[in-house]
Amino acid sequence: MAPILLWLIMFLCLMISVVKYLMGLILRISFPSAKIRKDYTWQPTVSVLLPCYNEGRIVYHSIESISKSNYPSGSFEVIAQDDCSVDSSYEWMLKAQRDFTNIPIRVGRNDFNCGKARTVCNALQHSRAEIIISIDSDCIFHPDAIRELTACFAEPRIGSVGGRVGVSNPNDNVITAIQTIVYYAAFELYKIPENWTRSVCCISGCLFAIRRTLLLELEPILRARHWFGIPVNQGEDRFLTHLTLMRGYNTYINNDALCWTAVPTRLSVLFNQQLRWRSSILRDLFYTLRTLPQHVFKLHPNTIFTMILTPLGAVIALLMVITMLVTNPLAWAGPKTLVVYLGLAAVFSWAIKKYSVRETIRHPLAFGAYIAWSLVSSLFITPLALLTFDSGDWGTRAKKRQEAPLGPVQS
Amino acid sequence: MDPSKVDAEPEPEKPGSPLQSILYKSTLALYRVFALLTLYAVLVGIFCYAFVMGFYAINGSWAAPVILSASDEKSLDFMQKLVLSRQSIEDLKVDIIRQQTTLAEMDKYRASLLKLDSQLQSAIARERDHDQLSGPQLAALDAQKQADNRKTQELLTQIHQLEAEIESDQTAGLITKGDAAAQLAALNHAETDYTDSRIADVMLTDSILDKTTIGTKSLEVIEKQAELRSDIAQLDVTLSVAEKQLAEDNRQVQRLHDAIAIAKQSPYYLNANGDKRLYFAFVPYDNQASATVGAPIYDCYLNMALCRKVGVVKQVFLGEQVINHPIFKNQVRGLTILMDLSHPESAKSQTVFLGRKPLLF
Repeated sequence: MAPILLWLIMFLCLMISVVKYLMGLILRISFPSAKIRKDYTWQPTVSVLLPCYNEGRIVYHSIESISKSNYPSGSFEVIAQDDCSVDSSYEWMLKAQRDFTNIPIRVGRNDFNCGKARTVCNALQHSRAEIIISIDSDCIFHPDAIRELTACFAEPRIGSVGGRVGVSNPNDNVITAIQTIVYYAAFELYKIPENWTRSVCCISGCLFAIRRTLLLELEPILRARHWFGIPVNQGEDRFLTHLTLMRGYNTYINNDALCWTAVPTRLSVLFNQQLRWRSSILRDLFYTLRTLPQHVFKLHPNTIFTMILTPLGAVIALLMVITMLVTNPLAWAGPKTLVVYLGLAAVFSWAIKKYSVRETIRHPLAFGAYIAWSLVSSLFITPLALLTFDSGDWGTRAKKRQEAPLGPVQS
Repeated sequence: MDPSKVDAEPEPEKPGSPLQSILYKSTLALYRVFALLTLYAVLVGIFCYAFVMGFYAINGSWAAPVILSASDEKSLDFMQKLVLSRQSIEDLKVDIIRQQTTLAEMDKYRASLLKLDSQLQSAIARERDHDQLSGPQLAALDAQKQADNRKTQELLTQIHQLEAEIESDQTAGLITKGDAAAQLAALNHAETDYTDSRIADVMLTDSILDKTTIGTKSLEVIEKQAELRSDIAQLDVTLSVAEKQLAEDNRQVQRLHDAIAIAKQSPYYLNANGDKRLYFAFVPYDNQASATVGAPIYDCYLNMALCRKVGVVKQVFLGEQVINHPIFKNQVRGLTILMDLSHPESAKSQTVFLGRKPLLF
């Protein structure tokens, strides 16, 4: 009975993934209603919150990109908050404050290191704007990003809006090429059905816009979030999105609001990033299961399925990979899987080349290596995430980076 | 103080009551112990798994014991085929005997036909010789006969004149009526003789014709002779085919006997017919060098360590077998060995090692 149940869940998980990708494709092509009605004339005040930890010089470029936004300069500000970086990040932030005087830039620093979620909350204290845009400190804004994000809030039920996160270093190596395809598929297909029902389950923290009133409502919950007394600092984006939906608001990803991020180039960094993400996914699963009745009454079925089956898929995948390695260890090495992955790589790299030239991948065949990564991801990251709920740090930026001298900026 | 610095955030919310605090702390402690143990177990498991994979990728002496029961599907299938082969041999033997009998009959018939042909040939020759001798003689006699007949015909012409004289003598009363009748009867007799003589001449002419030319009678004989020879030729063909068939059947029987002899060396035959339990093992071709008769067999804990000798290789069967690799689960080709096990429970092990201990302990 148990194996049948396991297979059934796995099948459902796979089904929902496949169906979502297919639906994404269909909706993109045939259903204009999947796209939100945007109103560019409504230009609310905006605070761009920039929590930062050990980001070094990149934070300067990030603020620079925001300063070049084509949103009315009097209507937005930057609030950069340093979480006690051990490198020169804070100095770079101050330098940006001095250099980019065309927009108000407020720079702050926490008294002690407290994680991204609380750093966002601290930055929020200084905002009086209508819309809050929280970003990652390594994000490079597209000039239209703020305009595109705020235009979506014309629909009064929209609580949070996300942007499309593009990869700025697709051709650094195999790892970045793979991530480029994964990012593209996620934003351009996987999240489209969620957009259709205005119930995106996770808006990326790279570019996360939310009504300030709503964020103020949620701030105490975000601050008080803990796991058996240990503050939870990870996955605030997913958690905030989840809470937005639970408050009866809609969520949406506007793929026209672009920002660029450099994805990890080393396996160890990627592993840590994925571990953080997996951890937040699993936490979210437990939260969903704990409050399932409320979900059933408040959320769209598509949302509930996504919230349960996506993380459950990770757990089942772990069991499946273990079973596979025990019963048929070389099954993953067969040519069929490789052909499927290379086929997907061919299709997506073509689409990327056509629709997102900046992310064009020079060697799409590198995606074949994703088979090995899938194994690692299923086999190691899921159990490690399950067994390290008591830890919390800034993930990819937890370790001290090489000090960047505060000198002339090279763009 | 930096004017841009924000107020310090409040400390993370602490659990409300002391009881809750204790509950949280104990739950965390348990979780951490569990996580630590599990992670180490996972690490050890991964290391062991990787080691086992690497070990079996390079080891060249492992064999996978195979337990064959009497009701093993392959054994049963094998026995069924063996029975069918034997049945085929029996059927072929019956066919061979029947063919041999038929061949013998056909040989006899052929011999009688040949004899008849020979006799016919002799008779024809003899008759021809006789005709060559008697033909000219008859021709001379025929000429003589014809001359005699011509003379007789002349006499008969004179006799016809006598008949008129007899009638006139009777009318004149020179002779009695009885004498006249007797004389006329004598004349009639002479005419009848003449007719017979002519008939004999004609018959003689026919006989001469028969003896001196090829007539229909001779043709009939020749036809009979041709038919006889045709029959013999056809019989020769039939005999040749039958002999070839017989030879082929004999070869088929021999082949089946050979196949059965080889099959009797198969582990499945031995398994199905043996009166005691036999222990087999699959050896991949890569490890064939280790599979020699008399090589010691080791059974190990965890499939590789703390090995002990459990028997020797008794027989190597060269027939190819394909099984799933006991560790990698992919299909591998190899052969089967018969093990003489002093520890029969080792037949249930996932793998055993031939020749030497895999890790020297």
